[in-house]
Amino acid sequence: MFHWLEKNPFFFAVGVFVTIAFAGLIEIVPNFAEASRPVIGTTPYSTLELAGRNVYIKNSCNACHSQLIRPFKSETDRYGHYSLSGEYAFDRPFLWGSKRTGPDLHRVGNYRTTDWHENHMKDPAAVVPGSIMPKYTWMYTNLADIDTAFAEQLTVNQFFAVPYNKPVPMKDGSTTVVKMGGSVAEANALALAEAKEIVKDMKDQDVKDAVASGKIPEIVALIAYMNSLK
Amino acid sequence: MNKLYLWGIIVTIAMLGATYLSVGMSKGGINGDIVNMLAIAGAVALVIITVFVVIKYVRQMQTDTAEGELADESWDNIGEYKNPLPFGWAIMFLGTMIWGMWYMLVGYPVNAYSQIGEYNEDVAAHNAKFNTQYASITGDRLIEMGESVFLAECKVCHGLSADGIDGKAANLNVRLEANTVKHVIENGSNNQLLGSEMPMPDRNGLFNMNSGALITDAEIAAVSAYVADGMDASNKAGAEAFAGVCASCHGPDGMGMEYVAPSIAAFNPTLVTNVLNHGKKGVIGTMPAFERLNAKQKEAVGAYITSLSAK
Repeated sequence: MFHWLEKNPFFFAVGVFVTIAFAGLIEIVPNFAEASRPVIGTTPYSTLELAGRNVYIKNSCNACHSQLIRPFKSETDRYGHYSLSGEYAFDRPFLWGSKRTGPDLHRVGNYRTTDWHENHMKDPAAVVPGSIMPKYTWMYTNLADIDTAFAEQLTVNQFFAVPYNKPVPMKDGSTTVVKMGGSVAEANALALAEAKEIVKDMKDQDVKDAVASGKIPEIVALIAYMNSLK
Repeated sequence: MNKLYLWGIIVTIAMLGATYLSVGMSKGGINGDIVNMLAIAGAVALVIITVFVVIKYVRQMQTDTAEGELADESWDNIGEYKNPLPFGWAIMFLGTMIWGMWYMLVGYPVNAYSQIGEYNEDVAAHNAKFNTQYASITGDRLIEMGESVFLAECKVCHGLSADGIDGKAANLNVRLEANTVKHVIENGSNNQLLGSEMPMPDRNGLFNMNSGALITDAEIAAVSAYVADGMDASNKAGAEAFAGVCASCHGPDGMGMEYVAPSIAAFNPTLVTNVLNHGKKGVIGTMPAFERLNAKQKEAVGAYITSLSAK
């Protein structure tokens, strides 16, 4: 058999490939499958949060802010528990980033609040002296794209079985359900209801008026996304 | 003489000369100290051994012919002798197998590097150091620690001088501001400032014991100013309202009562620690809890904030 293989380089190469691929298969795949499963307490993004995530991507926040806390004492002191791979299970794509001009944001929802973000996005230097972050004033007038977020929800729900409208286990043993609308109108209504909760803690009268009249400025979606990062 | 030996002598002389020059011209010279002498002795030995070994094997390659019994197998007409493995190789081969077994069964499983393991060791070492160096500090050193924690964690909202950056967060240089007092009276409060649930009723549950009626708008305005001004007795209406409505829980001097109501006259470390543990929701907005600070750090922040408004 080996004589035959030695005389047939092509099948020899196939044999080498199969042998090495098998090793990779049994070493990498099970570990990867285990690590990429969502950790308990990781929930899918709601419609508004997903719209906020798109605002985050659109404005290239990830160029300056990472979302990956490394296991070093200095980092966990500042940002909280180090990141686990399963926490990115619903991130498509993940926004780890590779450069920190600003601080890491992976758990920003734990230590910043709606009103802080509202002040900060309007004029970062007024809140953090010396900050070089630019002002994002247009987010207070531009409207968030809820339809696209809903389309994304539908897609990941259908093709990747992201558990919308299903109980998701939480850290304290309870379960929670992240709702996804059945139609565009329903999704918009859900997002608006969530936006109304957010603006309760906001002060900008124009944003409050916009939400009261059924429009959702980008800043509200972005804050919903920021608050969901825990 | 064989050309090979001639080359050997030339290379030896050149290398020894280079060694002599480089050591001799360096600081201290050849006889400068024991390290230089040892180094040159080592270099001489190395040069001689190297040249000797190279000559030996080059000669062997020039003159040796292979002999022995050929193996049956022929790989594309390349034959192989059945000579036994050189002894040194056999020892190394066996040694590699033994090491391999040790590494697979003991070496790797026991000593494998783990990033999280290193992190856990780091944290444990840090905590141990913290406990020996800082666990029992008091007074000014505690306030100093509080300031450093404040500058790392709190200044982002409360500002460098703890003034709350124009109303974006609470001004910690005073215990309470009038709009906060007013908001709490009108809406009640449930911030666990005592460390446990002890909600304060809203205005529909606050009676003036002197008049027996619910607190009025005028009284709210007066008592808000009174509390915010540090309980200045010249504000008669405020003092009266305070005595009638607030004093029964917060004490006549506003210093609070254990298990009943927090101090509204001055900060104290326990109060601040409770805010850090539970967060806070008020007229300005929501403050998140800061549970990742350790108990001593929370106490220190409390001491620092208390020191800001201490008279």
